[in-house]
This record gives sequence, C-alpha cells and structure tokens, in this order.
Amino acid sequence: MAQSHDQHQDNHHDGQHHAVPYSEHVRTLVALLFLTAITVVVSVFGAALSTLSVFTALFIATVKVVVVAYYFMHLKYEKKIYSGLVLLVGVLFVALSVLTALEYLNR
Amino acid sequence: MAHTGLVLPNSGHNRDAEANKFGMWLFLFTELLLFGGLFIVYMVYRMLNHEAFLLSSFELNVVLGTVNTTVLLVSSMTIAMSVSAIQMGQAKRSALLLWITFALAGVFLVIKYFEWSAKIHHGLFPGMDYYNNLPAGERLFFFLYYVMTGLHALHIIIGMVIIVFAIRQTNNGTLTAEKHSLTENAGLYWHLVDLIWIYLFPLFYLIH
Amino acid sequence: MATATAQVNYLEAKKGIMSWLFSVDHKRIGLMYLYALITFFLVGVTLGLLMRYELLNPGKDLVEAKTYNQIFTLHGVIMIFLFIIPSIPAVFGNFFLPIMLGTDDVSFPRLNLLSWWVYIIGAIMALSTLVFGDGPADTGWTFYAPYSVKTGTNVTMSVLAAFVLGFSSILTGLNFIVTIHRLRAPGMSFTKMPLFAWALYATSWIQLLATPIIGITLLMIVAERTLGVGLFDPSIGGDPILYQHLFWIYSHPAVYIMALPAFGVISELLPTFSHRTIFGYKAIAYSSLAIAFVGYFIWGHHMFTSGMSGTARFIFSMLTFLVAIPTAIKVFNWVATLYKGSIDVQTPLLYALAFIFQFMIGGFTGLILGALATDIHLHDTYFVVGHFHYVMFGGTGFAFFGALHYWYPKIWGRMYNKLVANIAFVIFFIGFNTLYFPMFISGLMGMPRRYYDYLPEFHIPNIISTVGSWILALGLILMIVNLIVGRFRGRKVTERDPWGGITLEWQTPTPPPVQNFDRLPELPKNGPYDYEHKPQIKD
Repeated sequence: MAQSHDQHQDNHHDGQHHAVPYSEHVRTLVALLFLTAITVVVSVFGAALSTLSVFTALFIATVKVVVVAYYFMHLKYEKKIYSGLVLLVGVLFVALSVLTALEYLNR
Repeated sequence: MAHTGLVLPNSGHNRDAEANKFGMWLFLFTELLLFGGLFIVYMVYRMLNHEAFLLSSFELNVVLGTVNTTVLLVSSMTIAMSVSAIQMGQAKRSALLLWITFALAGVFLVIKYFEWSAKIHHGLFPGMDYYNNLPAGERLFFFLYYVMTGLHALHIIIGMVIIVFAIRQTNNGTLTAEKHSLTENAGLYWHLVDLIWIYLFPLFYLIH
Repeated sequence: MATATAQVNYLEAKKGIMSWLFSVDHKRIGLMYLYALITFFLVGVTLGLLMRYELLNPGKDLVEAKTYNQIFTLHGVIMIFLFIIPSIPAVFGNFFLPIMLGTDDVSFPRLNLLSWWVYIIGAIMALSTLVFGDGPADTGWTFYAPYSVKTGTNVTMSVLAAFVLGFSSILTGLNFIVTIHRLRAPGMSFTKMPLFAWALYATSWIQLLATPIIGITLLMIVAERTLGVGLFDPSIGGDPILYQHLFWIYSHPAVYIMALPAFGVISELLPTFSHRTIFGYKAIAYSSLAIAFVGYFIWGHHMFTSGMSGTARFIFSMLTFLVAIPTAIKVFNWVATLYKGSIDVQTPLLYALAFIFQFMIGGFTGLILGALATDIHLHDTYFVVGHFHYVMFGGTGFAFFGALHYWYPKIWGRMYNKLVANIAFVIFFIGFNTLYFPMFISGLMGMPRRYYDYLPEFHIPNIISTVGSWILALGLILMIVNLIVGRFRGRKVTERDPWGGITLEWQTPTPPPVQNFDRLPELPKNGPYDYEHKPQIKD
C-alpha cells in the first residue's frame, strides 16, 4: 500500500513539479565563482599560511561541493534519503582516509 | 513483452523515473569511491613527500586551472538549466543548453590539452628523461597529476557522449516534460565531473 | 483461475540458445550465472586437487615451484572473483530476489543481462592467461606489489580481468539496491522483507561502495607495469604497504560480500525446515547492515606483519573484534530458531547445519588471527589457509549448495534423489573437514603457506589433507551427478510449496511463469515468517 502510494506520488512528482527556476541556477553559479575566487586568492597571496592553506582550500572545496549537490543536483528538492546516502558515502570515505592517515602518522 | 496474465502494480517493467534517478545516484557513489582510491594515494604520498609536492605544484599554471574551473562551473549551470528547461517543456531551449554544455566541455579539454602538451614538451611525462631524473616525490606528484586529471578528462569525454545522446533524444521528441530521465541523469553525471574537479583543482594547483 | 493454467513457465517460454544468451528474464540470467559459475568452480576445484596432490609428499611430486605458484594464484582468482563473490547473489539473488519481493523482475532488466556478459568477458580474460602471454600470474590472488609489477607472468591480464569482474559485481549490486527500494510488493515494508533480501541489500551496498577502490588499485598496477613510475616500488620512492592498504580496503569488505548472502540463505533454510518463525528477525536483519558497516574499518588485520605502525595494528585488532558481535548475534538467533521447531531433516537443512558448524570454526579461528599477538605467530601459515577455507568454502560454499538443494524443485520443477543427496552430503562434509582441519595443526606447527614444498615434520597432516581432498571430490561428483540426473529424470514437482516454506517464491507455480506470479502475492500478517498466518494457496 505504502509503496504503491509512494510510487504514484513520485510519478506525479517528476512531472513538471519541481522545475528549478533559472534564476536560482544563476545565483548558485555566482556563489560558486565567488568561492573559487576566494580559494585562489588565499592560495596565491596567502602562501605564508602553509599547511593551513591546504585545509582552507579543502574546506572551501567542500563548501562548493555541498552547494553543487544541494542546488544543481537537486538534493534540496529530493527525498531526505538521497542526502542521507550522500552523507553516508562522504563519511565512509573520510573514515577510510583518516584510518589510513593515522597509520602513516604513527609510523 | 505482452502478457495476457496478471500485471503486478510493482512490476519491474513499468517506467520508473525515480528508479532511474536512484540508480544514477548509486552509480555516482561508485565513481566517487573510484576517485576516492586515488585521493587516498595522493594523501599518503603528500604526507610522505610534503616538500616535493609543494615544489611541484608551482609548475602548474594557476591561471589555466582557474579558467578551467570557471568553465566547468558554468557548464554545470547550463546543464542544470537544461534540466529545468525540459521539465518546463521547453525542448528547444533544453537542447540548446545541452549544446552549450557540450561546447564548454570541449573548451575544458582543449585547455587541458595545452597544459599537458606544454609539460610533455619539457619532457615531464613518465618515461621521459627530464621526468626520470626528478626526485621521487616530484615524480609521484606528476604521475598522480596525469592519472587523476587523465581519468577526470576521460569522464568529461564520457559525459560529452551522454550529452550528445540527450540532445538527439530531445530533438526527436523522445524526451519530454513528463519523461526526461536521460537529461536528468546526464545532468547528475556532469555535476559529478564538476565535483571531482572542485577537489582536484586546489589539491594540484593551489597547495602552495 | 482461468489465466493460471494458460501461463507458460520460464523454462519453456522460448526455445533456442539465443533466447537464453540474450534473455532479460532475471530467472534465466540467474541460471546462466549458475552454469557459468559451476563450470569455473570445477576448474578451480581441479587446480585445488592438483595443489593437494603436489603437497602429498615433501619435495617435487608433480609440478615445478613456479607452476605451483601459478596454480595457486589461478585457483585463488577463479574461486574468489569468478565463483564465491558472484555465487549466491548472482545465481539465487537474481532468481529469487524479485520473486521474494513479489515482483516480476529487477529494476533494470537489461543492465542485469549486461552484468552477466561483463562477467563472462572478465572470466574469459582471466582464463586467457592460461593460453596467452607468459602464463598465469604467479603472485597470489592479492597481486601484492612490488612483485606483481616485476614478475614476467601475465599479471596485466589477470588484473584487468579482476577489474572487469568488479564492474559486473557493481552493476548487480546497484540493480538489487534499486529493486529492493522500488519494487517491493504493496504492503511489504523493509521490516517485512525476507532475510535473504536483507542480506542481499547489505551485500549490494558493499559491492557498490568497496569494489571501485579495488578497481582503481588494480589499474594502478597496470599503469605501473606499463609506465614504471615506482608508485609502489620502495627503491624509487613508492610505498608497497599503500598497495596493501588499498587492496584490503576492498578485499576485507569483500569477505562480507561472500559471507552475507550465505547468512541470508541460512536465515531462509532454518525457518522453512523447522516450520516456525525465525527467532530475532530484526536482530538478524540489522546485524547484516552492522557487519557491512564495521567490515569497512578492519582491513588492517591482514597486514599485522607488513610493517604497519604499532598504533594502527592495535586499532585494527580492536575493531576486528567488533565484527564478531553481529556475527555471533546471527548464530545465536539461528540456533534459537531450531529450538522447539518441528524439524524436518532434509538435504538443505543438513547443509545449513554444516554451515553453522563450519562457519563457527572459521569464525573462531578468525578471532585468533585477529588478535595481534597470536597473528604474529600464525600469519602466512596454513592456519590462515584453514581459516578462510572454513569461512569461504565451509561457510559460503556449503550455503551455496544448500541453497541449490533448497530451491532446486522451484527452479526446475523436478526433485533430485534425496537419499543420494544425503549420502553425497555426508561424503562432502567428511571430505571437507578431513581436508581443511589438519591445516590448523600444520599451521600451528609453523608450516608456511604458498610453497610447493615443506619440511618432513609436516608430512602427516598433509597426507590427511590430500586424502580429504579426494573424499571431498568424490562427494562433489556424486552431488553434481545426482543434481544433473534429477534435472532430467527426477520426480516431477508440480505443487507450489514442496518444503512447506512461507516466503513468496512458494506461492508461485512450479516452475514459475515468465512473469513470476499468476495471482497477486499474499503476505503473511505479521512479517515474512509468520507461520501462524500462513496464506493458504490452492491451485
């Protein structure tokens, strides 16, 4: 019951239901370009930051990725499970990396 | 297959746009972990060869890298718009936006080609003399640079092929406002290519 | 019902080899996997018998050292990548997952066919090393660098084959996850799914999220062999341990790709043959997910002696013990299911009981290997060989054959000779334990694995093992002959539910029609194993 109801809703759902307005795409792009500019500026002019600059760069990159996923990839409009799974995959990868890094840091 | 028998409400032969999208997301997860393996290699060798990686990254052209980042971000917007367009029933506009995305992908590859060939011209490619005489850390950096941007470029090319299919199906009316899984999935795939570049760019060009 | 009789079963719906090779029917694809898998399994068994024959006496019996290395590598590659990883999901998952969910196919039927073809291509690539190039790889199935980069044997092709096979595995996993999410029968929530489906669900996530890592790692080996930059070669700056990390980041979760579907099969067999509801449904279901999750973070226990940092060894050893918890939860629940059930001793149940017995031996010896201190002594000895054969063969292998005997009448509409099947089981069981148990002893004595030769003090356990391998082969031959004869001459089965099972595949006609169901499937009231409210299906 729940399932067929679900399916019915979805079919309706992916009709013209959630066409994202063009203006939102433009705003998203502006935000992304802004973030790119910051990361380049930090890197080129902030060389003194050294190791810190890597983390800054990765942090900004992660923000950009979240923006792309949330707006361009429609996670904003999808069912919660999509965001949950994306988060899960992200956490999994970070955990694998951290565990590997721990090994090398303690050599 | 035409059967006279029972038709189940949950048949696997029904058209299910949600399943198509879900399947695409799952595929994107595998792609993320494919690159993830390379990112772990990068991380480890960067930890072991901190100075060499720093030094090598200065060899890469930040301007070209920034331009390419911009190109990809814009293309990501155009394909997202194309999905909106087909959802609103504007097939022509959708196809046009796909063409623009395709062209931007081409621009990205051309710039990448010039970057690579400039390096190769200097003998900076595995197997060439200049490369072979580099210290180990720098060789690892450039090897990873070629493998990761190369694999990324391969994904761009695959994305372009998918886009061409989407354009054809948009033009001949197969894709419509009600039925546009291909455009949507092409979009998702293209955004993934973008996502990976968002990490590749700072890790190779900006770690000064 | 008028339509019920008019339906043609999937075996007779279409004729000719092409109607099989290009079928998008999940049942036919499952059977095509079965035939291919059994063929490769027999090749692997033959290689195993050769190895055991070589080890009958110290010194050279049959083959040279290098040939022996190639044989055990090919044995490993075939058994792991061609048989045990696809085994239960590709055959029984394909055939029964959609039926158990009450639907007529997987979500992407054509993709399903593609995975079979990709699998076959990968298999041909793996076997082609026998003929082309400088012979099969001699690295062991792990392809450890830097040796795999340097050896003259055909590592490149073997590695590419594993890559292609991984792709097939990913596609199957993807298909199953979408199918489970989208195609469950109306009213079947996740917590009313059969446990076999739960096990496949957890397995599919591992296939999806671990296989890409091995894919890229194997491609790095290929790049190393062609470009030679020293990615994993310490003499030019690379780190061979990094290869091991990447390899086991996949290959340890892959152990659960092999084991979880077997858990699923056992969770089906026990309720059916004790005719009562499974004990601890949710505990079994969620422990599959827990195993899949924890399984990602314990890969380092394969590398305790590789030169990892002490801290990492300590962490990995501790995490390894965590995985024993959900596994033990399953075993307790299985045993509790049997308690006060009305047990019907049939061949599949015998396989299930053997599974529990052997899997526990495999599991406990796994704990010994997961403990840091004991592993230092036992690493790379025959103790390890005994351990993983108990888990993989004694566990998953037995579950596979149990599943084959269980679903046999549904698949072919005929019954094998039960007496012969039981005799074959007993021989198989005795052979298995005679073959692998002595390995624990020779391993504890210190006999290293992967050599064609050994010191004379290990002679006795090796003789016993080799004799065991002959008994095992005898049981296997008897079992397969019995199954083949039963396929053509066996008693016809027309009833829908020959075992008194309750999951939805027992509501369909035998063998199932092309679209699986001839009437809407009826779910038992309180979950999939609710024998008190079992729907009565009359023909």
